[in-house]
Amino acid sequence: MNAGLKNPVVKAIFYAFLIVWGISVIYPLLWTLLDALKNNEQFFRNKPWSLPEFPLLWSNFSYVWSKYNFGTYFVNSMIVTVGSTGLGLLLSATTSYVLARYKFRGSNSLYLLYISSMMIPFVLALIPLFFLMNSMHLINTKIGLIVVYASSVLAFGIFVLVGFFRALPKELEEASIVDGASYYGTFFRVMLPLSQPGLITIAIVNVLNIWNEYIVGTILVNDPTQYTLPVEIGVMQAEMQYRTEWGPLFAALLVTIVPVLLVYIFFQRQIANGITAGAVK
Amino acid sequence: MNSGTARWQRNVFIASFIIPTLVFFVVFTIYPVLQGLYYSFYDWSGMSNKKKFIGFDNFKEMFHDPIIWRAIGNDYFLVAGKVIGIMVIATFFAVALTRFGFKLAGFFRSIFFIPNVISVVVIGVLWNFIYNPQIGFLNAFLSLFTKEQVTITWLGFTEHTIWMLLPPAIWAGIGFYMILLIAAIQNVPASYYEAASIEGASQWKQFRNITMPLVWEQIKVSILNIMMTTLNGSFVIVWIMTEGGPDNSTQVMGSYLYQMAFRQYHFGYGASIGFVILVLSLITTIILQRLMRHEAVEMS
Amino acid sequence: MKSNKKFTVLGIAAIVAALSLAGCGSKNNNASPSASPSESPSASTPAATESASAPASESTDNTVKLKGDFEIQYFVGGYGDKWWKKVIADFKAANPELNVKESGGPKINDQMKPRWIGGTPPDFVYIDGAGLNDRQMVEDGQLEDLTDWLKDAKNIDGDLITDILAQPAQQFDGKVYNIPLVLNSWGVFWNKALFKEKGWTEPTDFQSFLDVSDKIKASGMTPFIHTGKYPYYINGSILYPAIVSANNNDFTILQDMAANKVEAYESPAVLAALNKIVTLRDKGFIDKASIQINHTDSQMLFLQNKDAFIPNGLWLPNEMSKDIPQGFDFGFIPSVTQDAGGKVVANTSTATVAIAKNAKNKDAAKAFMQFIFSKAQASQWAELSGAPSNIKGDISSSNAPNFVKDAAKYLTDPNTVVIPTITYNADVDKAMMDATDALTISKITPEEWVKRVTDVVKKVGK
Repeated sequence: MNAGLKNPVVKAIFYAFLIVWGISVIYPLLWTLLDALKNNEQFFRNKPWSLPEFPLLWSNFSYVWSKYNFGTYFVNSMIVTVGSTGLGLLLSATTSYVLARYKFRGSNSLYLLYISSMMIPFVLALIPLFFLMNSMHLINTKIGLIVVYASSVLAFGIFVLVGFFRALPKELEEASIVDGASYYGTFFRVMLPLSQPGLITIAIVNVLNIWNEYIVGTILVNDPTQYTLPVEIGVMQAEMQYRTEWGPLFAALLVTIVPVLLVYIFFQRQIANGITAGAVK
Repeated sequence: MNSGTARWQRNVFIASFIIPTLVFFVVFTIYPVLQGLYYSFYDWSGMSNKKKFIGFDNFKEMFHDPIIWRAIGNDYFLVAGKVIGIMVIATFFAVALTRFGFKLAGFFRSIFFIPNVISVVVIGVLWNFIYNPQIGFLNAFLSLFTKEQVTITWLGFTEHTIWMLLPPAIWAGIGFYMILLIAAIQNVPASYYEAASIEGASQWKQFRNITMPLVWEQIKVSILNIMMTTLNGSFVIVWIMTEGGPDNSTQVMGSYLYQMAFRQYHFGYGASIGFVILVLSLITTIILQRLMRHEAVEMS
Repeated sequence: MKSNKKFTVLGIAAIVAALSLAGCGSKNNNASPSASPSESPSASTPAATESASAPASESTDNTVKLKGDFEIQYFVGGYGDKWWKKVIADFKAANPELNVKESGGPKINDQMKPRWIGGTPPDFVYIDGAGLNDRQMVEDGQLEDLTDWLKDAKNIDGDLITDILAQPAQQFDGKVYNIPLVLNSWGVFWNKALFKEKGWTEPTDFQSFLDVSDKIKASGMTPFIHTGKYPYYINGSILYPAIVSANNNDFTILQDMAANKVEAYESPAVLAALNKIVTLRDKGFIDKASIQINHTDSQMLFLQNKDAFIPNGLWLPNEMSKDIPQGFDFGFIPSVTQDAGGKVVANTSTATVAIAKNAKNKDAAKAFMQFIFSKAQASQWAELSGAPSNIKGDISSSNAPNFVKDAAKYLTDPNTVVIPTITYNADVDKAMMDATDALTISKITPEEWVKRVTDVVKKVGK
């Protein structure tokens, strides 16, 4: 139960601030859509916020869509994102649980190793990574991207999940052990479901990051049939530098944003639910 | 069942949960990164198949490189600006959307997260259009209030252009930390607030005495996370928006690393910048943790 | 030199002659065939090329059929990839037993980089776009030394390749590693139609450039915009020609600069050239927006008549073809920084092709060179590759755009100083670009420019 704000003036000011920020977040999306329907000349003649003129240039979308083969890249991206998020979650949840609950020699330094790896500029690893993947014959494969992405999200997962497991009451496990459950049973049937909010939060963050990742993708994949969506977008943007096509550029940006936006809208209920359900008392 | 088997079982369990992850991590992250850092002791163009060991020369050279110092300064400017900007606004939103009883709280929460969904590349392109001196949104908007057409070059000042990269960075960062803090606030038992309300404590008092101390752990984690992601990740938005220019005024360590390693053919030097990023991140983490631990004690 | 004669005959063909020059009086899609005697139809059937390759074999090649794998790396930028697709298809048809693999794209330079480091590069590479620098590749020992081969290499038509090159290959310590495939000139553009309407005089030298800029400024228009985000545009079109003009039209000073000779940078010619930029700056001629915008944005502003002059390359009209307003008429001069009556200085830029030192199939790579540096492929390039084709095509027709006529006039005029392509050390190049940017926004003085750049040169030269 929230008491809410009593002073109506303060409340109005706060509301105004929320609305302004809301506009600042929504407006660029709207702007992108409007600009995707303009031609170059309108960019100069009219104000940035003016509406596109008729006829609306929906052709900018079909141009971008037909020129670039989005269907394949979409499927590739789905496979890679789902695969690496799942693998990353499994690997980080198991280790996090042990690090949070069991003391053993080196457990603390292991935790520090994971955490401090978040500070490493990953761009340095690009070239060595290429040779490693090349020697494992994982260049131009989805498996290659999946293992690299899964590995790259471990540190963040462990960072968040160790905190989550530590916050869970010890009694639950003790009860489970008393009931005769094995270590594994306790983890998979009791602890994992309880940490669901944390898992969902990480999964969402990882999905978004992996979905949008293109630097590693560019290096590890150069076969167009294996491109992920962001790699293709990167290629497209590189091409766009040599043409002035603002309308199609905005159309392309929108095409990039829409899938993730849908994913977010679709899952945001889960995020909200997951996070609120996190009140394990 | 004796204690020996029990310990054995426990150890097997620990090993089975630790080792696969570790192996994976070492092979696909630690090894390539160490390999990359190892190049910091070499004079290597990044294109050649020959490299020359030069010991610490790359690091020595850094002391005479004015650009690296500017990049470090810019990095810490961004860290400070983002920590303050993001934490103040995100905390405000988190409190407003949980404690103030706004009707549209759920709606705002959903849309405030949207910038986090969008790729940084897209954000950079969007903000470049906002800042464009001729056809950009900002100048057109300001021109509504002036007689003369406003033609400010937002990304082309002789000094302090780095300031202009702060708004997109804050704008893009708010949503995620807001969600983290909302989760933390919702974990605070409602009874605490009820008791405070009965005693007649104002919202501000409730915030200071209940919310802040109880979500401090989350704030601390958020600040550390902002710091780390800024030091090694801010280069993406810098690269897309300004490529470090004009005249290196927006260069950060990450973008300078990229420039050196992949544009000016000094991969070894780039790697040594990577080393510096790592060391500075570690030092900053330790310092921040000291500072914030102190404060946490005071709070609770 | 036969190529020089053709130069004169064909005029502009020289400028853009995609590859070889020799009479590629090629045409645009709509233009009528060129009057050039050596005009060769673009319909180069595989059969024709195959038979044509016979005479070439005697010098360097043998009659053995090419076999095995052959990989080509090509960057796709402003010129597109149509020509590459076509020429590779033609080459495949001519060599059915060769397994040709193409690795092309706008990010190909990044994507192939690990292969170059790992010692398994493609056989043949087109050096263009970000991420590849011929000087660096030579220093890294990545490119095959072509000096001896090129001396008597003939193309598939039997012409000596060196004879048909408009611009000779750049030499690194006296050796040749890469051959220019695309030729362009830097310079300054304006809108002739606008100048006529306003009664402005087109610039021919620095004084007239300043005079007309004064008038333009008085009329409320900004005289000059450049691409501040990528300052090589202003360096290539203004600074380097100005240095050559100030150095008594002797372009070896730029070659000395590229060879990291500190004295060259300290020459008074450099300061004189920098002071010309300072003049433009102090008179308020430079559009303030320049500093932060990229090439497409600056070019759009120019096309919208927001700015009168823009430093750019000859590819500009084609790159922007979709956005050229009705009645816009390009005027062009390679340089505006010479004294009245002084020679015009044309700073050329080329994109080159080379063979990897670690190539697996050097025979095929050399045969491919002989294949593409031919009349038939030259005219195909003109048709398919975008910018240059337009220019070349249009000279043959009577209604060639004015800037093409202007460019042709300048480049074929014996009074023009033509600077061959020069690649600077990447660090020095970056330092010069940063410093020029800083100079245009009054952050530094010309002396500081020299100081900054020479510091880097000293470091690089060791």
